[in-house]
Amino acid sequence: MKTRLGLGKVEQEITHDEKLLFTLISYVIILIIFANLSGFQSPVLGLLASAFYFLINGIFLGHAFFEKETAFFRLILGLLLLIMLLGFVGWLAVIIYNLDVIRFTLVLIIVATISSLSNKRVKSKNGA
Amino acid sequence: MEPNREGFTKFLRIGETLYLLLSILSFYLLLLSRTWEAHTVWEILHPAFIPTLCAATALLLTILPTSEKVTHKLLFVIVHSVLIHSFFSIVFPAGDNSGQQMYLGRIRLVYDNAVLHGWPPWPLESIAFQVYQWFRGINFQAALSVVFARMFSMDILWVHLFLVPVLWGVFTPIAVFLVTKTLSKNDTVAVLASLLLSAFPYATYFGAISTHNSLGYIFFFYALYFMLKNLDSNDSKTKFLMLAFSFLSLLSHYLTGIISFSLLFLTVAFKSYRAQKTSSLTARTSLAIPFILCTSLLPFSFIYLRFFRSGTHVAFTLSRFYELPFKEIVGLFLIGELTYYFDLEAIILMIIGPLLALLYIAYRLHKMRKTSSADFRTPFSFLFVAFLMILVDYRILKLLMEGLPIRAERLWVLRDFIAVPFAALAIYTAFSSLRAFLRAKSLPSITFSSLKSIFKPLSRRTFSQTKRSIINLSNHLFIALLFSLNLILPLLLAGWITVSLSVAYPQVAPLQTTNYELEAVKYIEENTQEKYVVVGDIWTIYAGERIVGLNNPRAYYFGELEKTGIDLFTNMKSDPSPEWMLLAMNYTDTTTAYFIVTEPRLGSEEFQSVISRALNNQQISVVGVFGAGKLYVFGYGKGEGV
Repeated sequence: MKTRLGLGKVEQEITHDEKLLFTLISYVIILIIFANLSGFQSPVLGLLASAFYFLINGIFLGHAFFEKETAFFRLILGLLLLIMLLGFVGWLAVIIYNLDVIRFTLVLIIVATISSLSNKRVKSKNGA
Repeated sequence: MEPNREGFTKFLRIGETLYLLLSILSFYLLLLSRTWEAHTVWEILHPAFIPTLCAATALLLTILPTSEKVTHKLLFVIVHSVLIHSFFSIVFPAGDNSGQQMYLGRIRLVYDNAVLHGWPPWPLESIAFQVYQWFRGINFQAALSVVFARMFSMDILWVHLFLVPVLWGVFTPIAVFLVTKTLSKNDTVAVLASLLLSAFPYATYFGAISTHNSLGYIFFFYALYFMLKNLDSNDSKTKFLMLAFSFLSLLSHYLTGIISFSLLFLTVAFKSYRAQKTSSLTARTSLAIPFILCTSLLPFSFIYLRFFRSGTHVAFTLSRFYELPFKEIVGLFLIGELTYYFDLEAIILMIIGPLLALLYIAYRLHKMRKTSSADFRTPFSFLFVAFLMILVDYRILKLLMEGLPIRAERLWVLRDFIAVPFAALAIYTAFSSLRAFLRAKSLPSITFSSLKSIFKPLSRRTFSQTKRSIINLSNHLFIALLFSLNLILPLLLAGWITVSLSVAYPQVAPLQTTNYELEAVKYIEENTQEKYVVVGDIWTIYAGERIVGLNNPRAYYFGELEKTGIDLFTNMKSDPSPEWMLLAMNYTDTTTAYFIVTEPRLGSEEFQSVISRALNNQQISVVGVFGAGKLYVFGYGKGEGV
């Protein structure tokens, strides 16, 4: 029961995204990933930052596309969409030029922006 | 809460905790099995692993029909799924030598920014060829792996090894659950199906290797789910998702992509058929024609592949009917490639799932004539037609085509995925019917007095007492059967799933890339400042692909089938001299050359002979010896010895 309330509450907080707070957090995470990649190269920091990136943007996409599903399926399907989107934008970068650190960071920014915009669109559609 | 219910919940929690402990133990045992030199996973698996896994699976199967939340059950299935798909990645030092090492060799170049505009790095003959290459799965998998590797700040080897086992382990059970739920509207069947996919050997194998084809399967499964959903809805999001997953499936692999789009057209035909609201001959024909068109899409796409890919000569043929004996043709038609298998157990394990699905479909079609709601009928008919389409396509590819660039057996994964919901329904229906039968037979329930009467001496009984005793005895028998059924079924299914792994993971294989081969490649990479080339056998190339990539201009390893590389190695073996190494350097524009020979690959006699000849040549020097003398690295630099 506690877990469900926890997940539901986190999801609600993130999808409301008042003043784009979670979108900004997402960008800060990208900055951390970039700094980690360029300097510390710590897998622990990388995994931790990525987990938050996945959580925020997965919830955004889950809310945008699978509103009628339960919280668990929203999260799982949102994560799958996020992975697809990362793969697709990354693929575009690969065939256009390459996927060096700068372009990789751009991919993360583009995907985070698309996720946030999708969430915003559904939110405004629902009048929330 | 009622005392009975409370007791059951406590019992359930104990079962769940035990399952999680057994799963952790299984992961630990798998980790303990990790080895540096092995051919197959079977020769080095910890002896306690399979019994532990079987016990965990049986426990999971007893949890699945309970009233536990579906999300919890699915999480347990995901843990199980990740476990059984991680054998290669955990046990072998660099994963299985099954093609995934070749993809890693190419992906590493993207990771190291050594290629621009994706694979291949060389210019292509025409724009059509170029476009085809862009849409090949290797570029999509490269993008996904590189993004993850950079996000986690991990070496691409680790990300590549676990990419498919983890994605497959997490997302495939969910896809099966969703498809089965749409078909049966029953959570228990859907969760059972999500676990049952592990009993299909070909699907398990493709979930364990990191190839873009495996990624294509995952996206296909979700495309199929959204197609099923689209049959009963006009939601624009569902349509978008159906198209997006089909496109991603195509981007990952053309086989899964073409099948996805074939089914997409079939969905449209189904919807228009339903819109007609009649079952007239014209309406049925409107469904039959798209079926034929959709089925022919895959064979024709192989024929037209020649316009996008050089060296592809796929054609329709009847030669098999002239060349093969009738018995073999029948075998190929019925069970495909399995007709050449010698192991009957493997054949049974490969076909039992799809066969169960076919039997259930036949039973359901028979029943559907009398009673069935329209809700059930549409997804059922669509999945049945999709199943049929794949069965027909496999037979066309197997019997009527030649020069295919891939094995037709890859269609089995798609067939199995569609068969799983039907197989789960078959098991559930059979089990429920049997249970209902036994319950009906075991009523009325037994009382203490009736129990006593059974043991009453025969001489003191009246006729009616004896009759009652016999009835009570049969009641006991049915209750015992009912109880055993609840125990036997999880054990049987757990046994099936566990035994299927023996077919999913090969029993015979060449020596996998060893730890000392990887060490040698790493040593060269870390201790060479200038550009270098490595001359070695295909196994050395596989090791090189994992650490530095293929055709890397800075650290050059020849392509797996590149004639120059093979010739140079053959010449070096017979005459280990600087002449060939200079030639390799000139060919690859490098300044240092290495020559690697490995004892288990060459055989002791040839290895010793090459080593002694190389050591006698004063111009080339030993750079390193690895694996307690099993691998020698010789080096030579332009102008002087290394």
